[in-house]
Amino acid sequence: MTDATTLFHAERAGHTYGTGATAVVAVREVSCAVTSGARIALSGPSGSGKSTLLHMMAGLEQATSGSVDWGALDGHPAGRPDQVGIIFQGVSLIPSLNAVENVALPLVIGGMSYDEAQNRARDAIGRLHLESLAAKLPDELSGGQAQRIAVARVLAAGPKLILADEPTGQLDRAAGIHVVDVLVEAADELGAALVVSTHDPAIAARFASRWTMHDGILASVSPHDDDFTDRTAS
Amino acid sequence: MIRIWLRGLITRRPGPLLATVAGVMIAVALLASLGSFLASAQASMTTRAASGIAVDWQVQVSNGSSAAAVRRTVLAAPGVTAAVTVGYAQTTGLTASTQGTTQSTGSGVILGIPANYAATFPGQIRFLTGKRGGVLIAQQTASNLHVAPGDTVTIGLAGTRPLKFIIAGVVDLPQANSLFQTVGAPASAQPTAPPDNVLLIPIADFAKASAALSAVHPELIHTQIHVAHSHALPPDPSVSFVTVTEAAHNLEAKLAGAGRVGDNLGASLDAARGDSSYATVLFLFLGLPGAVLAGILTVAVANSGADRRRREQALLRTRGASPRLVARLVTAEAVIVGVVGGVLGLALSAAVGSIAFGSASFGASVGSAVLWPLGSFLVGLSIAVIAVIVPATRDFRSMIVSEARAQIGIRKQPIWMSFYLDYLLLAVAVVVLFITTQSGYSLVLAPEGVASIQVNYWAFFGPGLLWIGAGLLIWRIARFLLGHTPRLLTGFVRPVTGNLAPIAAASMSRQRSMLSRATVMFALALAFAGSTAIFNSTYQQQAEVDARLTNGADVTVSEPPGSSVTPAAASVISGVAGVKSVEPLQHRYAYVGSDLQDLFGVRAGSIAAATSLQDAYFQEGTAAQLMARLAAQPDAILVSAETVKDFQLHPGELIKLRLQNASTQKLVTVNFHYVGVANEFPTAPKDSFFIANSDYVTRMTGDASVGSFLVNTGGQSTNAVAAGLRHKLGTSATVVPITAARSSVGSSLTSVDLAGLTRVELAFALVLAAAAGGLVFALGLAERKRTFAIASVLGANRRQLRGLVLAEAAAIAVGGTVAGAGLGLILSQMLVAVLTGVFDPPPTILTIPVPYLLATIVIALGAITGAALLSARRSRRPPIETLRDI
Repeated sequence: MTDATTLFHAERAGHTYGTGATAVVAVREVSCAVTSGARIALSGPSGSGKSTLLHMMAGLEQATSGSVDWGALDGHPAGRPDQVGIIFQGVSLIPSLNAVENVALPLVIGGMSYDEAQNRARDAIGRLHLESLAAKLPDELSGGQAQRIAVARVLAAGPKLILADEPTGQLDRAAGIHVVDVLVEAADELGAALVVSTHDPAIAARFASRWTMHDGILASVSPHDDDFTDRTAS
Repeated sequence: MIRIWLRGLITRRPGPLLATVAGVMIAVALLASLGSFLASAQASMTTRAASGIAVDWQVQVSNGSSAAAVRRTVLAAPGVTAAVTVGYAQTTGLTASTQGTTQSTGSGVILGIPANYAATFPGQIRFLTGKRGGVLIAQQTASNLHVAPGDTVTIGLAGTRPLKFIIAGVVDLPQANSLFQTVGAPASAQPTAPPDNVLLIPIADFAKASAALSAVHPELIHTQIHVAHSHALPPDPSVSFVTVTEAAHNLEAKLAGAGRVGDNLGASLDAARGDSSYATVLFLFLGLPGAVLAGILTVAVANSGADRRRREQALLRTRGASPRLVARLVTAEAVIVGVVGGVLGLALSAAVGSIAFGSASFGASVGSAVLWPLGSFLVGLSIAVIAVIVPATRDFRSMIVSEARAQIGIRKQPIWMSFYLDYLLLAVAVVVLFITTQSGYSLVLAPEGVASIQVNYWAFFGPGLLWIGAGLLIWRIARFLLGHTPRLLTGFVRPVTGNLAPIAAASMSRQRSMLSRATVMFALALAFAGSTAIFNSTYQQQAEVDARLTNGADVTVSEPPGSSVTPAAASVISGVAGVKSVEPLQHRYAYVGSDLQDLFGVRAGSIAAATSLQDAYFQEGTAAQLMARLAAQPDAILVSAETVKDFQLHPGELIKLRLQNASTQKLVTVNFHYVGVANEFPTAPKDSFFIANSDYVTRMTGDASVGSFLVNTGGQSTNAVAAGLRHKLGTSATVVPITAARSSVGSSLTSVDLAGLTRVELAFALVLAAAAGGLVFALGLAERKRTFAIASVLGANRRQLRGLVLAEAAAIAVGGTVAGAGLGLILSQMLVAVLTGVFDPPPTILTIPVPYLLATIVIALGAITGAALLSARRSRRPPIETLRDI
């Protein structure tokens, strides 16, 4: 069931990689909803299906069973950085573009003029206090800096839903916390919902809603979670 | 572990591995093909040189020595397969009375030959008409005497009574020069022409005739032993030359003064070894750059996977792999690449040999058929080592793990640029070219009779430095344009990238190292294909010019000396089917001072219609200008450069020549005015001659007789026209089509071998151009799959992704084509200048094989576009899969 504030809604949705004997079930009959302004931490062991679920939310993976919809978004979000912004675990910057160009890229792809996109990119970088990194190439950035530039890219596009797939997975704790701070700051600025998958309990503890996954099954551990419907448990 | 690693490489990353294997394969195949071809070419030169000789040795029996004893000694010599005694006697002249008139000739030679002579030396006598036995008369002598088989000829002998013989047949003596040589005399002391009047009589008759002559003039008689030597010779002409020369010297030593050996076989091999050296030089000049390019291409392909390899090495090291284990893994990869590439290269070479030459070994000897492929295989292994192990070892030693994980170092400028190495190399190349193309320079020096051959290897530096210097300069320019002209680049890529143009330009600017390397590869491959094709076309064109220069025209009808045929006879020739036009050419002898030179009388206004006059034949004007000068001034004359120098002539100066008057048979002085220099002229000898107006010569000498008729067939059916002319004219004139001249004027290098070299090289050049364009680019893109996946996640559609790929393809294609075409043209010019020794006459302009070059460019551009579109197609794969895989 969706309403005007439901950005993503899954109904007994599942995703299976491959077919036949080699089929791997990554997500099993998940039912959940992400609403505007939500702050959700998605945790669970490796291979539990966190990334697949985030990719389903971003429209990058199709549900192979059940149904998903993005009621409050403007159509299917795949390849629409103005609707859903996604940050990956590894470096997701284009190595041959500097930080400003990387941030401006989705805007130019979306049809904005290069000059305007550059201004927006510089603005986003400025809002995250990353001006000193603006002219640097990805190879010249540390892992944490690269992830913060990726956050700036999301911020510049102004999505309603931000998805971060283990953004701190390759960073030390201090850098990881810094990246999460920037993510939250960006989501706050945009008034966007934020879903972060993480292994780190300390980071998960900072979010109001905390979901966990085991073997593709989603369970909520936060005491009051309006965005979660545990149909699989019932 | 090694097995797991290799299995992983083969199953997970087959593309880069196969591309590296393909590079090694091309290099090995090119080297093996060209090497085997070179060995085969040399062997064919030896065979051709030996088979072109009618009599291998002519042993002149010394006065007072026994011919029979000398023959026995000769027969006992190793390698001698036949020895025949031949008598030579001087005659004061021949006389014949036919059809109510009596004709007489000047002095001549009578040969006494045994009955089996023609069978033993089949190349010496060509039977034209009549019987094959009995008394035979040379064609020209028959023509002079107006005799035919059945007629009687009287031989005048000094101091004794004349003898009469009935002619049984008319023959041609194709190798009269060597047949009538002065054995033992140096080249400068040899007779300038064979005798005009020759009669061949059975040895028994010769014995009777010479018995009377020897009593009064023994000096007019001598005996030779004509020898057939085994032609089972070493394939290399130089080795064969030494073998045969030493055998001849050995025989002379055994004869102990009883005879001297005229070594025709050695002389022929002497000429062939020069050609052999030129073939080697051509191989090095034309073939080696291709093999080096294939090697560089392989290294570039391997380097395009360097980022991936660095990351893998870093991963192995962080997981605790020892340096030794990493080294073993890399070595295993190199060996697999080298061995598989080498084996496939040899298979490809065998296939090329079978297709192009009908033999997998290109017809080379067994030794060469093994040595060249083996050597090529080892080169292939070396390339694999350089391509795979060297960069891996360098990375392993010099980089720390965090550096290894970095993807690209895009701002690093190559060290050589700081030292301006490209400018330096080009400057040195120009200096070397200047030195090596000065007059007096000879690329290959094979002094007659001297065993050693000198090849001026300095000459290789010019083109070699030009290749390297130009490659580096293209690299520098490409880097500059990509890195420092953002507006230009943005405008250039806008048609395919739309509003993404600034982003695409910025990205390309940062990838300028990779893009400029790919551009250089593409340009060098095109330059290789272009320069090879242009050189070969120019060479073939000049071989054709040479044939036309020697023969005079498509078909040439030569009248015998003393003939009184006038230009009116052209109407008879015109009547033969296939003849488009006929041009009479006078031939006289003229004295300038005490020098006797050939004089050719031409119709200046129409001569060019029947033969091709190249500008290179003349000085002080083009061919057209000098013919116009002749046409405008009746007493104008063209003179050879040597005569101009010897007689200190100046343009417009009066020259007095002495020519024979037809009615008085006495020399008369005729005034001419020197208007230009002729270095070459159709049918003219290579040294000194004159070209004048035929009408003027006729008026001044009262003699309109024609030396030859140049027949234009439009290049079509020359053999058929020649046959028709022979049928119509009988034995009264000699008819030679240009096809005969092509095989006789060309050395073994031109007529047999370069066509094969051309086929092999052009095919490989095409493959290299396509590979350079497509492979390097495709592999570069494969390494950047992540970039396209990210762009796709960020919303880029297929058109935008295709635009990003095509922008890079366009930069490589346009830059490479422009640079390659320019370099190809310069290299062709340089090759022609440096290899000028193989051209006779030197070309006026380069011959551009437009269809081949266009095909090469189209195929290479197709390869680039194909690789780009393939890459764009791969980007259709769900990006999340790509991101997960990397």
